[in-house]
Amino acid sequence: MNLRYMAKELYYQKRRTLMSILGLSIGIALLIILNALSLAYREAARVPLKEIGADITVQRSGDVPRELAGVVFPCSAVTIRKEEVEKIEKLPGVRGIGTGLLLWVFDPNRAWIVLGIEKENSIGPSLLRSSVTEGRFLEDGKPEALVEVAYARQFGISLNDTISVADKKFPVVGFVDASRAPKIAVANLYLPLKEAEDLAASSKELQSVSPYAPGDVNLLFIKADQEKITGLASEMKGILGSKATVATPDSFLKLLGSLFALSDKFTLAASLIAIIVAVLIVFKTMAGNISERAREIGVLKAVGWTNRNVVSQLMSESVIQCFMAGILGLLIALVASFGLSFMKVNIPIPWEMSPTPHFLPGGGDQVFKTLRLPVHIPWTLASFAVLLSIIIGGMTGGLLGRHISRIKPSEVLRHE
Amino acid sequence: MSKSTILSGTDLSKKYGDLEVVKGVSLAVNEGEFVCLVGKSGCGKTTLLSLLSGLEKPTKGKVTLDGREITASSEDELALFRRENVGFIFQSFNLIPTLSAWENVALPLFPIKMTNEERRRRATELLGKMELGHRIEHLPLALSGGEKQRVAIARALVNNPRIIFADEPTGNLDSSTGETIMGILNRLHRDEGVAILMVTHEDELAKTANRLIRMKDGEIMS
Repeated sequence: MNLRYMAKELYYQKRRTLMSILGLSIGIALLIILNALSLAYREAARVPLKEIGADITVQRSGDVPRELAGVVFPCSAVTIRKEEVEKIEKLPGVRGIGTGLLLWVFDPNRAWIVLGIEKENSIGPSLLRSSVTEGRFLEDGKPEALVEVAYARQFGISLNDTISVADKKFPVVGFVDASRAPKIAVANLYLPLKEAEDLAASSKELQSVSPYAPGDVNLLFIKADQEKITGLASEMKGILGSKATVATPDSFLKLLGSLFALSDKFTLAASLIAIIVAVLIVFKTMAGNISERAREIGVLKAVGWTNRNVVSQLMSESVIQCFMAGILGLLIALVASFGLSFMKVNIPIPWEMSPTPHFLPGGGDQVFKTLRLPVHIPWTLASFAVLLSIIIGGMTGGLLGRHISRIKPSEVLRHE
Repeated sequence: MSKSTILSGTDLSKKYGDLEVVKGVSLAVNEGEFVCLVGKSGCGKTTLLSLLSGLEKPTKGKVTLDGREITASSEDELALFRRENVGFIFQSFNLIPTLSAWENVALPLFPIKMTNEERRRRATELLGKMELGHRIEHLPLALSGGEKQRVAIARALVNNPRIIFADEPTGNLDSSTGETIMGILNRLHRDEGVAILMVTHEDELAKTANRLIRMKDGEIMS
């Protein structure tokens, strides 16, 4: 292989070189963009769960309360027994569990969506700590409340007011901004889990629909090993029965409804088509180039180049062209992914996970988590694409080189 | 084979399908000898040159070049042998259009392990001898026909060959340039002692050779 010869060939045959590079670079760019989009949708689908520090959320649907009075469970989230939580906690692949207790409280003059939360847990609604806009977060062992800021404004609730919920008094110690909070497990009123348990345990209406004992919950937030999420979801359904609603990144991905989100096979097929078309363009361009150079190859062989010398020279030219195509494709993909990252994506939150009763204002509205599509190109994808370009170059150059190197110099040089 | 014979072909035949282009030809070229193979177009002289230089294998017969029977060699062995012992000059120059004059001259040296400076030095020296010292960086496109052929002659000499095969080296040149090229070949043969086997259809050019071999219909006439 002679680098000077290779460089001059590529430089002086600009049209051929550019055709090969452009053809493959578009294919490589498409491959990268398609896969980056697929990854971006997957990442976007994780966001609603990620916001709450979980990979899986679990709840169980039950019967509609006979009477909407006092403390009741939403029909989409009834009791999950303490023993069931312990069983889930022991499943291999579960790295941690956060719990919550979601209640609807119908007082004579006001309805509350109450969420009982743990005070310290990196998984689940305790993450609301960062959404406190005024006042402070709940302190351990104190019967106090956080109120959602828009709700507080609507009902004229101020900091340090005392509110009455199902005949129990709670001082308001802070406000939470729901627009900054996760879309899952939102409420008007946040109480310590213990206080919410007491409300639930003492409600006859709630007990009549779904028997409840302190320690039971109705929302589970689970951190799990990524590769085990799908398996865990079905095991949890096995533990909780057919009425369990298990939300995973995959279930959000299905709700997104994008082709990229729906099917890995689509991305794979589209990527393959892009690469096959690009390879064909490269092969055709290079085959044309090499056949035009038959006389030149004849001269090389006549002056003493062996077949191996010829193949390695042509292969190096092809590898360099394809490497440049890989880099150009990567650059095109980077620019495209920057543009695509401005795209907004709306992730629908399933109604079961929306805590607002449908009969309250806004309760029937579809809730979305809107975010910018997190398109980025992982270095593994970038390296794979460039490596693939080099392999394509090596194989194309090798195949065509082997073919043309068999040429007899006398055949191409005799007809002057 | 005498000591001074550098090239010999014995009972060489070449068939393409049913067509026998070279028919049982035997000839020898001595060291430092300038031999001209003359004949009309299509008489088989270029084919014979290809057989004798190892560019093509005969259907029958054997070729011995510098004491080695090349007809039994593999393609790659032949290429290596040509790289070290043989120079070629073609009618249409056959320079690589993307390489400069000196790079074209150094072409046979590219597969050899040596520094680029060394290749350039050897090529430049030869181009100087061809009075092309001022054209070493020019591409073939920028050279005249005569200059191109002088570059091709320099390329044929870069590996210090024992013998040069020249196929109609003046065929694409006007008569005055052709005379210059013949002058260079004569000088090479006379001063450097390089054996030359040249194919031409022009009797006038052949007169400068030590020996003239006439071919007709694939056979040697005289």
